[in-house]
Amino acid sequence: MTISRQEFLLRASLDEGTLEAWVAEEWLIPSGTAAEPAFTDADIARAALIRDLKHDLDVNDPGIGVILSLLDQVHGLRRTLADLLRDMRERDRGAPHTQDVPD
Amino acid sequence: MRDPYEILGVEKTASLDDIRKSYRKLAKKFHPDLNPGNKKAEEQFKEVSSAYDLLSDADKRARFDRGEIDATGAERPRQRFYKDFAEDSDHVYTDASGFEDFATGDDLFAEILRRQAHARANAPGPDMHYRLAVDFLDAVNGGTMRLGVPDGGTLEVKIPAGIADGQVLRLRGKGGPGRGSGKAGDALVEVAIKPHRFFTREGDDIHVELPITLSEAVLGGEVPVPTPTGPVMMRVPKNSNTGATLRLKGKGVRRHGGGHGDELVRLKVMLPPAPDPELEKFAAGWQAGKSYDPRRDMQP
Repeated sequence: MTISRQEFLLRASLDEGTLEAWVAEEWLIPSGTAAEPAFTDADIARAALIRDLKHDLDVNDPGIGVILSLLDQVHGLRRTLADLLRDMRERDRGAPHTQDVPD
Repeated sequence: MRDPYEILGVEKTASLDDIRKSYRKLAKKFHPDLNPGNKKAEEQFKEVSSAYDLLSDADKRARFDRGEIDATGAERPRQRFYKDFAEDSDHVYTDASGFEDFATGDDLFAEILRRQAHARANAPGPDMHYRLAVDFLDAVNGGTMRLGVPDGGTLEVKIPAGIADGQVLRLRGKGGPGRGSGKAGDALVEVAIKPHRFFTREGDDIHVELPITLSEAVLGGEVPVPTPTGPVMMRVPKNSNTGATLRLKGKGVRRHGGGHGDELVRLKVMLPPAPDPELEKFAAGWQAGKSYDPRRDMQP
């Protein structure tokens, strides 16, 4: 489910210039095309996080980039760990584990 | 809720600056997005931010100090945190490239990383939302319309007969493209029906107001009536009044489960546009025309 740029600005309470700056920094990566970008609920929550870091926690711009990059790695790690644990539990139960379907 | 001063660890006399400093320190420690998976931190963050909301507002703080309000109910409404989305497989941010060095050869871990890469590379495309204004008659009879889409192309949309205002049509695979072998999303087209010059629609029934001449009203006869599928002849009974409603069975909108609604024709007697001496002469000498009271029901 995606929303338009206009709806995103409204729901994330952002102005045009801020959004452009954040996209240029690659803190936000909209899907869709450059002319018609599309945003998700995840983008709204991520924008709220960036605002918290900037205004509530007083983190400067280079710091925000570093934090986001490390957080993205933590989430990648957490997901991989979750996948790994699920696979191990399935193997323990003797259930056939999920097969990767080749293209 | 506990005492907000205690939560933020500041004196009752603390300045706004001290409060802000203390909040910043605690928020850094407890922000749920900086503590993914830690339920306790989320609870503590809620407490800290509610306390801060109360004490950073000079007016609310003064009222709290005077005992006029308590600290309950100050809970901050908050959208979902980023961590709630961050582990979904189909967005671009999550980065699992930082520990490829763990994966050696063909072990379980390497397989999981491969599977994740496959899911990311073949994520399904997003659904796209459109609104389409449809002519009244196309909505009743069905038809095909073209819809311009952002990439410059057009989508052909088949309008099923009898579609209702606000209904959403799903065009499978016509949304955003998927990545790799991922399926394209769907196009979701919300239909807005344009009003018609003289037809209106209530559910499955079509309503129309049909002007008739004085002679047709008095003497009755066959008159042509427009319907969504073209004009038909209808018998107007003798002595038909304005407001009399005649039903044309099956001339309405196609029903979802089969069959059709009706067309309801409300008659409206029209005098000729210009005064007519013969008619005036007749009305002046027409005794019975003066003896009935069409306003009888309006007596107080």
